[in-house]
Amino acid sequence: MTATIQQQVFEIIAKQAKIEVATIRPESTLKDLGVASLEAIEMIFDIEEHFDINFPEQQGANFDTDTAQSLVDAVQKALDDKAAGEGSK
Amino acid sequence: MPTVSTRRVVITGMGAISPQGVGAAALWQGLCEGRSAIGPLRHPDAGRLRVKVAAQVPADFDPAAHIDERVLPLLDRTSEFALHAAREAVAQSGLDFASGGLGLRTAVIVGTGVGGETTQDEQSRRLYGENAQRAHPLTIVRLMTNASASQISIAWGLRGATYAVASACASANHAIIQAAQQIRYGLADAAVTGGTEACITYGALKAWEAMRVLADDTCRPFSANRRGLVLGEGAGIFVLESLEHAQARGATILAELAGTGMSADASDIVMPSAEGAAAAMRQALAEAGLNPQDVDYINAHGTGTPANDATETRAIRLAFGIHADRLAVSSTKSMHGHALGASGALELVAAIGALRDGVVPPTANLDKADPACDLDYVPNVAREMPVRAVLSNSFAFGGLNAVLALKRAP
Repeated sequence: MTATIQQQVFEIIAKQAKIEVATIRPESTLKDLGVASLEAIEMIFDIEEHFDINFPEQQGANFDTDTAQSLVDAVQKALDDKAAGEGSK
Repeated sequence: MPTVSTRRVVITGMGAISPQGVGAAALWQGLCEGRSAIGPLRHPDAGRLRVKVAAQVPADFDPAAHIDERVLPLLDRTSEFALHAAREAVAQSGLDFASGGLGLRTAVIVGTGVGGETTQDEQSRRLYGENAQRAHPLTIVRLMTNASASQISIAWGLRGATYAVASACASANHAIIQAAQQIRYGLADAAVTGGTEACITYGALKAWEAMRVLADDTCRPFSANRRGLVLGEGAGIFVLESLEHAQARGATILAELAGTGMSADASDIVMPSAEGAAAAMRQALAEAGLNPQDVDYINAHGTGTPANDATETRAIRLAFGIHADRLAVSSTKSMHGHALGASGALELVAAIGALRDGVVPPTANLDKADPACDLDYVPNVAREMPVRAVLSNSFAFGGLNAVLALKRAP
């Protein structure tokens, strides 16, 4: 069984924040999880590499307010956009 | 403690290559007109980049003009810029380095954030992208960080202390401070100094993109809708002399480099600290013998990133107290972009222009007030006003701060 997008994103966050996956709640902000701004940029890079997607340029600019769930949603949207782009070719 | 005798340091020549064009006059005129040189990115690989805008030296810049054809093959774009700007600065100064052994008493200290990035990028592409068997034999002499300083030294026979200074976005100001100290403490009578950067390469642009600090439309310092910095490029080079040396030969003095300040935040590798920046500003004021109320204009670091502009505003308030509200503060990066290791040098052209002409260049693209940025940023239109003294701020990734204090020519 493949892990859900949420599981995969949470694992990347946990690795970067050096915390247990189980401690991440969807509503946790990156700040709550102790992720500093430069770490968040690195985390977004890890997520982009993992899913082979590109977040919009300004994605991840609000580390204080971005939640774990908002990252999952952003991944889902980027995957949907990618699928739509490939479908139209 | 023994007292150290010090000398006053003045600027007698300046030259620039900038997105506004060739020459310090082109840069200063563009800034006074509020003309932004930020435009669509010109790059062969633009289609593979997300970044869409940059402030680039005009495409008609001809490196072959004024540079010996035997020297040209030795030069990365950073050194082409530096040599052109140095030629203009030396010509304006009227100094003859061959006369009276002056070349032996002249330092060359040039800042650059990274050095020969164009060369590095081209050779990496050959080796990794095209599986070339060998790199170009002049790769090292082109890309080494000290190439610009060395080429200037060779071109004019300057044999004093010669080296490069690297402190990311503060490189030019740190270099100029080092050069001023050479003169102030009697180690040299003259110096050629400034900063140069040519960072619009595919690899560098990708790296900046990944950091997510680049604006996607334009540079809007201190504006609530600012979205990041816009990369620039260019060089600014200056001739410094001791006051007595300049006066003895009847030189035209552009400005006095009256004080300097340097500090490190010692905190975060990228997030700036108001305390660190304020410490450098206070030092520059103290060395120049200036009180806060003596200063009329600050050329801000003003990158247009959310973090810098609010922190720099707090730093200015810390250093200037109640006088902060009477200062004109502007970021000319809104027009010439962020030339990284050259930015302090381009901004010194603006600081000198403000002192000489009584005109403060504006902060372009400032159209939405930000409560966290509550100083007078001279929005969008230059202001005629008496300018007695100026600070020019540069703050770098790595938490490094370098500030110049300038007064009118004595």
